[in-house]
Amino acid sequence: MLPAIASRIATAAVTLFVVTLVVFALLCALPGEPQAGDDASRPLPPEYRAALRAQYHLDDPWPARYGRWVKELLHGELGTSFSAQQPVATMLRERLPVSLGLNALALLAMLGVAVPLGILGAAQPDGRWDRAGWIATTALYAVPVFWTALLLQWLFAIRLGWLPLSGISTDGARHPSSGVALADAVWHLVLPAACLASGGLAYVSRFVRTNIVESTAGEGGRAARARGLSTLQYAARHGVVQAVSPLLTLAGFLIPRLVGGSLLVEAIFNVPGLGSLLFDSILSRDLPVVLALTLLSGLATLVGTTVSDVLILWLDPRVRHAR
Amino acid sequence: MTRRIAHALLAVAAALALGACAGSPPHKDNDARVAIYSNPSSLSLVGNTDLNSSQLASVISDGLVAYDAKGDYVPMVARAWELSPDGKTLTFHLRDGVLWHDGLRVTSRDVAYTVAKVKDPATQARSWVSQFTNVAEIETPDDLTVVVHYATTHADALEPWRVPLVPEHVASKDANFLDGDFAHHPIGCGPFRFVSYNPGQSIFLAAFDRYWGGRPALDRVIVKVISNERTAYESLLLRELDLLVVTPDLWRDAQTTPAAARLARFVYYRLNAWKIDWNQDGATPYFKDKRVRRALVLALDRKRFSETVVAGLARPGVSSYPPESPWTDPTIVALPFDPAQSARLLDEAGWRAPSTGGIREKDGTPLTFTLIFPAGAQEIADRIAAWMQQSLAEVGVDMKIEKLKWEAFQKRRKTHVFEAAMVSTMFDMTPDRFDLYHSTANVDGFNFGSFSDAEVDRLLEEGRATVDPGARRAIYDRLQKRLDDLQPIAFLLQLAQPVLHDPDLKGIVSSPVGLYEFAPGLRAWHWSSARGRD
Repeated sequence: MLPAIASRIATAAVTLFVVTLVVFALLCALPGEPQAGDDASRPLPPEYRAALRAQYHLDDPWPARYGRWVKELLHGELGTSFSAQQPVATMLRERLPVSLGLNALALLAMLGVAVPLGILGAAQPDGRWDRAGWIATTALYAVPVFWTALLLQWLFAIRLGWLPLSGISTDGARHPSSGVALADAVWHLVLPAACLASGGLAYVSRFVRTNIVESTAGEGGRAARARGLSTLQYAARHGVVQAVSPLLTLAGFLIPRLVGGSLLVEAIFNVPGLGSLLFDSILSRDLPVVLALTLLSGLATLVGTTVSDVLILWLDPRVRHAR
Repeated sequence: MTRRIAHALLAVAAALALGACAGSPPHKDNDARVAIYSNPSSLSLVGNTDLNSSQLASVISDGLVAYDAKGDYVPMVARAWELSPDGKTLTFHLRDGVLWHDGLRVTSRDVAYTVAKVKDPATQARSWVSQFTNVAEIETPDDLTVVVHYATTHADALEPWRVPLVPEHVASKDANFLDGDFAHHPIGCGPFRFVSYNPGQSIFLAAFDRYWGGRPALDRVIVKVISNERTAYESLLLRELDLLVVTPDLWRDAQTTPAAARLARFVYYRLNAWKIDWNQDGATPYFKDKRVRRALVLALDRKRFSETVVAGLARPGVSSYPPESPWTDPTIVALPFDPAQSARLLDEAGWRAPSTGGIREKDGTPLTFTLIFPAGAQEIADRIAAWMQQSLAEVGVDMKIEKLKWEAFQKRRKTHVFEAAMVSTMFDMTPDRFDLYHSTANVDGFNFGSFSDAEVDRLLEEGRATVDPGARRAIYDRLQKRLDDLQPIAFLLQLAQPVLHDPDLKGIVSSPVGLYEFAPGLRAWHWSSARGRD
């Protein structure tokens, strides 16, 4: 198992290197450059502009600048944001928990609804529940995410007033403890998380259903029915176990979304997470931030897929023995 | 297993209930909540500033002088000043007893320190640095006197001194000005002190009890960062905000939405305009001719555009001296919509329509050009461009549209690789327009169209060197008349700033520099005693 993980990490490291190189080259190839000439209401003195260019090494060729970035990275430095003038690491530290919280809630909500829906659908394929679930989740999948967001806001925040409209904290609330602050944040994230989760319900529930249906049709399913188990009982007790490993593979690919999969939702609900940071930094050509986020999302993919592989190896004897 | 799931569900329910309690807004008797659409780029008062950070800085720290609501200078930390007759030496006398938010006294050393910081490239004081390039030396003979020596006569000698003061005893402790303690917890001498900043969420300011001009009426100002305009508008309707500057679409919405009926509203104009630089460096055969430049503006029905597209929230631009500027010559008015005169001028300039109709030509060259503009948050640019294209086609001019990323647009404009370039621009309150029109300003200035006129150059130079206000006004009046005749840059539209606010929030005054960057600004805001809030 260990060699497999080591080779996975080595491949990922090379991939990450190539991805950051491409992103760096692309951002440098775009016309114009950061900091070069955003004058205020009066033009900047030329010597002042020259000093800024020198500070950011903007006159060096891009391979040299990339080399400098890699060197700093190897020393654990992510650089300083061009636009915020803050260490990139600080910015990520501020926003990472928000994105993780939002997307973890969304993932939980998605799995919490989609898995039971899948089981219910598999219990009676093409039955009433299966069709109803399919229609509802596909409709949610088809609606653009910003539209779902606006509908949720309109209904729960504006019409009913049950949930907050936007943001992640109530203004002015002097939280006596971090527990209350956390609860306040969770409270604010209910709508955006629901919005994020709604789009994924269709494919996760169909995925679970199909896997269970397949296993039910096999020998195990026949034997269980011969023992007198109903299809729902079989699906809930045994089908789910058999669907776990493909589900884990799927989850492995969903994990990277924990850090940056919520760009639009973050913008509409005013959630200060990594998605909105990525959006802003691409617009302002904030190279150090874009690179750090590329790296982070690459790392998340690596971690997600490796962890899911390891879990499958651990849980599924068939895979273990096949090796 | 089932029990564990039940426990988990209970825990989630409890968390949500707790959240609901925390979610109910606490009582805010004397706070004002406003919104900005993006994070301030810095809190360092002078470094790495954008519009949001400048507005915050102007509330947190005072300058030696400030504008009043009309744009005249009023004393702030300086109680008085004298400018030498040659306009080269400016002496400030500071108020005694002005305090920083940590209780220490503001002295002349802080003024000198602020200037040193602004001039240091590491500070990246983009909004201020060019105003201090003419400052040769600063003397501080005692704690309350500052003597400024300018290298050359500086007619707008007071203009730089609106810069928010930076406390030397705090900021000098940081090795990195833009990322030290001070930049994250700024201390100033203004009416409100900084309390906290939660990026992407809010900035809290609190009244400074020992402010030299008297404590502000509000206890706190909460500046929320809300990137989505509609979300901000809904927050206002839900009484989560007290004041908001909105887009024309939302302004229109607020006229009919019942939930918005309770709101008070007004519009005001800042010193800005959508302008078009016509490239006159010879790359195009038409824009060197002033008749063509004038004809293109005459072909545009700007009033109609304003009424149909932006809910009446724009007026035809006049010149680089908007009506709000104290230096504006009121006899100069916007060019009318007059397609007949436009066609006549184009005919006179030799650009004639072929007998079959269509695009005008001169010596076989068609009158066709490309308008570039930057893509960005301001979708109004697309609408202006499309409307221009249609209007100009009606007088036989073919205009193509090219939308560029901001950086690419900047580069094309600076390197003069364009025919016509449109952007929204902002002016300051001084009458000096050297950087916009002087023939030498096409290298490091804003004369992107390479306009050149000896008379304009001479007037711009004289204006800078003349200290006497009466003589100066005469010079700039002449300049404005000359510019009106030459139309080197087209000033298309001046967009209004529509404001919606809680009707019980009183004392809100606007100025040509906005709602905050003048005296008294935010300090005059207060809640009416008859306020019926939740």
